[in-house]
Amino acid sequence: MSGPRPPVPAAGSAAPEVTPEELLTWADRLLTSPVDGLGLWPRACALVIRLALEQSLDRFWAGVLPEAAECGMRQQLLLLPLYAPAPPADSDFDDDASSLAREAWRGLARAAHHHVYELAPTAEELRRWHTVVSRLTVLLAAEPHDAVSTL
Amino acid sequence: MGDRGRGVEEIVLEKLKTDKVPESVANLIISAMRGGTALEYEQEPPPPDGEPRLSYLKGITAAGFRGIGPKITLPLQPGPGLTLITGRNGSGKSSLAEAAELALTGQNRRWTDRAAVWREGWRNLHEPEPAAIEVDMTEDGQHGSTIVTMRWAADADLGEADVFFMADGTPHRLADKGWSKPLELYRPFLSYSELGALVSGHPSKMHDALQAILGLDLLIDTERALTDSRKAADSASKAATKELPALLGKLANHPDPRAREAEKALGDKLPDLDALAALAAGGDDTTGGVARLLQRVADISMPDKEAVAAAFERVEAARAAVVATAGTKAADARRLASLLSFALEHRSEHVDEPCPVCGGRVLDNAWAKAAEASVVDLTATATWVDEALEEQAAALHALAQLIPAKPAVLSVDLGEDADPTEASEAWDRLVLPSLSVQAYETLIAPIVALQQRATTVLKERAEAWQPIANELAAWVKHARDSQQAAVLLADLQKALTWLRKVGKEVRNERLAPYAKTSAEVWDMLRQESSVELGPITLEGSGPQRKVALNVTIDGMEGAALGVMSQGELHALGLALFLPRATATGSPFGFLVIDDPVQSMDPAKVDGLARVLSHVARTRQLVVFTHDDRLASAIRQLQLPATVWTVTRRERSVVALKKTDDPVKRYLDDARAMARTRQLPVQVRAVAVAGLCRGALEAACYEVIRNRQLSAGVPHADVERALESAQTLHHVMALALFGSTDHGSELIAKVRELGGQASVNAFSYAKRGVHEGVNGDLKRLVEDTETLTKALRG
Repeated sequence: MSGPRPPVPAAGSAAPEVTPEELLTWADRLLTSPVDGLGLWPRACALVIRLALEQSLDRFWAGVLPEAAECGMRQQLLLLPLYAPAPPADSDFDDDASSLAREAWRGLARAAHHHVYELAPTAEELRRWHTVVSRLTVLLAAEPHDAVSTL
Repeated sequence: MGDRGRGVEEIVLEKLKTDKVPESVANLIISAMRGGTALEYEQEPPPPDGEPRLSYLKGITAAGFRGIGPKITLPLQPGPGLTLITGRNGSGKSSLAEAAELALTGQNRRWTDRAAVWREGWRNLHEPEPAAIEVDMTEDGQHGSTIVTMRWAADADLGEADVFFMADGTPHRLADKGWSKPLELYRPFLSYSELGALVSGHPSKMHDALQAILGLDLLIDTERALTDSRKAADSASKAATKELPALLGKLANHPDPRAREAEKALGDKLPDLDALAALAAGGDDTTGGVARLLQRVADISMPDKEAVAAAFERVEAARAAVVATAGTKAADARRLASLLSFALEHRSEHVDEPCPVCGGRVLDNAWAKAAEASVVDLTATATWVDEALEEQAAALHALAQLIPAKPAVLSVDLGEDADPTEASEAWDRLVLPSLSVQAYETLIAPIVALQQRATTVLKERAEAWQPIANELAAWVKHARDSQQAAVLLADLQKALTWLRKVGKEVRNERLAPYAKTSAEVWDMLRQESSVELGPITLEGSGPQRKVALNVTIDGMEGAALGVMSQGELHALGLALFLPRATATGSPFGFLVIDDPVQSMDPAKVDGLARVLSHVARTRQLVVFTHDDRLASAIRQLQLPATVWTVTRRERSVVALKKTDDPVKRYLDDARAMARTRQLPVQVRAVAVAGLCRGALEAACYEVIRNRQLSAGVPHADVERALESAQTLHHVMALALFGSTDHGSELIAKVRELGGQASVNAFSYAKRGVHEGVNGDLKRLVEDTETLTKALRG
């Protein structure tokens, strides 16, 4: 069975018009329906989710601190708690933007590269990252607030 | 919490009362319960200084123990927080975990079921001497450390250590701490193998392991003891019946008539045990048949030769006396004496008249005188003759009487063992007066022979009977035991049924709050695993007992355990373990987990890192792990933790190195941020200030907890103070003065610690977050680091 073939953008060179939401939809499709000729789908899927994470962060930084987008992920993750909006009151203790981003980045950074001894991520892991990045994207798309007041 | 802190024994005793369990049954349950673990609890005196207080670990030291050669100490921060000890397999890290568990609990779950050869290798190969463990702890309200020490003499076995704790400079018995019950209930130690045992292996084992984790060992032990007793009672109650065919077989082959009687008695549905016991005891063979006849033969009493001879002599003497009377007729003499007496009487009225009999001689005085003398003489002669005759008759009678009437037994058939004919004939000729002593002796020979024969036969029979009589007696005893066992068996059955019913109630009551926490932990651990954990219950009893985990996969119910991966099973085990060890009733503020990561996939490791970090908010969590995955997850997820790395050189030289802690991490991040040229300096300054403040706060928290808990300040008070310290200023004051009231002296004290550089760092961390700073950020990070070092002393 042949579904619509999703574009598999190369890491770091996404066309600017692709939104994180669109990327997540593609990733979800990869997770739920088999795609012909794409034997490496777990890694492909991880790449798409990772891209969604980066796009989501870039879009966020563009609004509050454009320079941050130029920094490494370590710095971005350190800056995030200073700028990110607070999570909804009823969410888990680690449902803040920084925790979500850290968890997704930790998994995706590893999965999107080829490691000799490491197996491709499982559907469960991919689903988890997809969920985490989706949550983060929603959170970061909310109205940003004054960085200093969070401290 | 409720019942969680209450002992199982207490609950069972109470329910025994409310359920009105019959006394005999209740006693069985109580003694089964006390026979096991309960007894140890009872022997433990109430701790001299009240209930156990909340305790934390300050350090674990080991020497000459397992993988550890020369003495090594793992310092730990008392109070909540996560400490990770990483080291390769064989680095000695597990030895540290085991050492702590062994010193406090006296055992190690990982060893308990191992073969002796495994337990014997507990001494370090390279440095077997000295072997010692010390666990340094803080206790609420207790000034200074409590050091639990376990020390072995040079030739001591694992179980022969001296265990004590030092307080006030003197050793005390560890039992005085009152820890054994809480250790059983809340068990703050968990090893990988225990996690594995939880979910792999036989369903009943998992059930028992979970019961143990729920602190319900006592229920298992009691049930096991009762089951054992029931098994024993059951086989005892059947023992007699089982032995019966063999006994009957032996009896059937036995010639003794008692064997027949025994066979008959044993044929009854309810054999008369008293009668059988009498038969078994019947060594004197009074039970009839030939034996009884033979016994009568044996019992015949023949006069002995001397008696017979004496009787003959008496007859001889009497005869001689009669002969000596020489034919004197006593009757003539008596008649004549009588005639003369009548004549004298007649004469007294007819004095000097002629004799009325012959009409001749006048009966004058001379006649009367002579006649009176004759009467006396004649009477004496008559008496003498009479006596001789009487004696002769008496002597003959006595002789005749010596031989009793012929016993009837000599006239009956005595079977093949003895023939009475000859004796009987001889007896007929035993008419003594007509015999001589010699003839008597000849005649009684066959009788004596018969008697001897009878006695011999009887003796032989008794000897032949005795062994089987013994067996019969033993059987009777078994039968009596069996009867008692049958009664006991019924009671034991009732006891088990009751205990299982109550056990189920207690278990599920106790399980409910844990199950809820377990589900929460599992939710955190499972990440996006499609396995969902529903209510957990313990079900079934006896060999059918099992853990019912309501696990669904993609919403489908099924034999979930079977399809879960090993990593998931371990995660599940952890989800089941954590709620108990973190129960509020536990006096142990710490929790030691050995290698929870094995066979977990990376996503689970992330989940585990979160779970551990969550637990570490309220507990001191010490986690030993054999690889870097957990440490890296914790680092990358930015979860606060202190990380130690264990390495082991040759000859068991183990070294510990602190590779990460919250202070270091804040400082590293601050440095990285300070270097990030892409960012406007104001942004960098604010971010670096936030991280420097984090480093200082982390250092202060460490100092505050360490100092105050060691000083015996109750943990709750310490945490309350930390919570109320809203600003870095307060936190610093708390660290330096123990209270937040020293605002004005604070700067001076900071200066004392590290000069103006420290004051700058402190002010920057305080204000820079809000204001940013103009200055050398890198320099400020270095100054902050210097201050943290000075703070930690």
